[in-house]
Amino acid sequence: MSEIPRMLIVLTLICAACALLLSGVRSMTADQIERQILVNVQGPAVEGVLEGSENDLIADRRDVRVDDRELTVFVGKRGGDPWAIAYQTSGVGFGGDVEVIAGFDVTSDEITGLRVVMHKETPGIGSKVTEEQFTKQFDGRAIEGQHAIEPDGGDIESVTGATYSSRAAAEGLQKAAALYDEVKQQVLTP
Amino acid sequence: MEILILVITALLIKNILLLQYLGNCPFLGVSKRMDTAVGMGLAVVFVMTLATAITWLVQKYALDPLGIGYLQTLAFILVIASLVQFVEMFLRKAMPALYQALGIFLPLITTNCAVFGVAVLAIRNEYNFVESVIFAIASSAGFALALVLMAGIRERLEAADVPAPLRGTAIGLITAGLMALAFLGFLGVDNSLKALTQS
Amino acid sequence: MSYMRDFTRGLWDELPPFRMVLGLCPVLAVTKSAEGGLGMGLCVIFVLTLSNIIVSALRRVIPRKVRIASFIVIIATFVVIVELVTQAYFYSIYTTLGLFIPLIVVNCIILGRAEAFASRNGVFRSTLDGLGVGLGFTLSLTVLGSIREILGNGTWFDMPLMWSSFEPFTFMVEAPGAFVCLGLMLGAMNAISGTRAS
Repeated sequence: MSEIPRMLIVLTLICAACALLLSGVRSMTADQIERQILVNVQGPAVEGVLEGSENDLIADRRDVRVDDRELTVFVGKRGGDPWAIAYQTSGVGFGGDVEVIAGFDVTSDEITGLRVVMHKETPGIGSKVTEEQFTKQFDGRAIEGQHAIEPDGGDIESVTGATYSSRAAAEGLQKAAALYDEVKQQVLTP
Repeated sequence: MEILILVITALLIKNILLLQYLGNCPFLGVSKRMDTAVGMGLAVVFVMTLATAITWLVQKYALDPLGIGYLQTLAFILVIASLVQFVEMFLRKAMPALYQALGIFLPLITTNCAVFGVAVLAIRNEYNFVESVIFAIASSAGFALALVLMAGIRERLEAADVPAPLRGTAIGLITAGLMALAFLGFLGVDNSLKALTQS
Repeated sequence: MSYMRDFTRGLWDELPPFRMVLGLCPVLAVTKSAEGGLGMGLCVIFVLTLSNIIVSALRRVIPRKVRIASFIVIIATFVVIVELVTQAYFYSIYTTLGLFIPLIVVNCIILGRAEAFASRNGVFRSTLDGLGVGLGFTLSLTVLGSIREILGNGTWFDMPLMWSSFEPFTFMVEAPGAFVCLGLMLGAMNAISGTRAS
């Protein structure tokens, strides 16, 4: 066999075998990877805002369609009945999107909590919006209301020097609150 | 302003060589003499900028639309390896003088993890195309800077009385450590710059 | 006997990264903790052994001119497998190692062994070589990681180890400490083999 076709054939065969192997491994691990990301990235935040639930929050998640958008909703149950829901939204911060998970009590229509799950804010300044000092302000607020930070005329104290980041977190919550009625209705009707 | 921060961060504050641990093999290998260090530095600036631009396009227009992001590693290394080959052939034909100067460093660059690392980092940091290219230029300039500074020090070390077991790579590593310590000082610049823009 | 040599060579005579000063980036980057060092080492054993096996099995089939390209494809495939498997089953290692898992692909040790050993020897010997060099690499990384974690953080595999008034020197877990620590270890190894030789 002459050299150039042989080179091409061998390389193509190797690439094809590798691609086949990889797609196999990929399909075997895909579900597990999705689960790991849920458990490790969103898991702690979801458990935080749905504290006191008795069910496996990750396993009992549901996909809901709201405004033509897929939304993963985590449902917290007590005594077998849903008492709270949580889902992820985002606001635009200083360094990029600030992703938050907001939890809502469906029995009292109150906010159970807010956690920042992903952000690219300045370490030491904007990143302070992830701290309890800031996020605990949202606990127990009625969902009705504007949830704006002080510079925007609201009553949520923003982190000093990090107005953008604080506004982004509040924006995430406002978006979540706007979807609340729709999501609640879909989750509670079986 | 954003761009300025990006440049200063990539060049000094997060210097890929000294603080991000990328590209250390050529760092110790070619930093013994000033002229080879300059040649390697230039070759890396050239290849890294091209490679980052191309891999960015590959990621956004081939891997992402096809939903095969998990093949990133495989695709990027192939792109970089063939790019290096191509650049070598092109330089030999078109610019023999430049080839004379950079040629011998090009094959070494395929396994230079800095090139691959910066290409992946540009994607992971979610930079747009322009930012990615600027990031690559600044990072590779930082690499070249550290390499040339190191070569200057190592030429002096030749004349120094180093304890026998530490001669060669060992003292090179310790020197690099002290340089990294000096570069850590730029961290303060970062904080004040960011504070300036955020307020 | 010579099979034994194939295995043990990687453990002292050609112990990476000290004797073969290759693949330094992951060595410096992931040894902030013993766990990171061990995890990286295990990933490298996997990739190195399997790529050695495949390369030596195909050594008569692959034309010389495209051998490096073929080796890179084979190595990259195993690296992607490691990436997927760690992400699926060992998520904490996946996040600890981060960028440095895909970077295994440009680890010169692996390409070096494929080129220098596996492409010239049979499957069995190449397997032993891969295991030996990989194990040596893992041991070096774990020791380096242990030293840096104990001195820099006062813990070992996240277990508190030092007395309560111990003030960790953070220097060790930062980048400069990595360079200095590796340099001193290299010096120590040179000193040991220097006395052994004389």
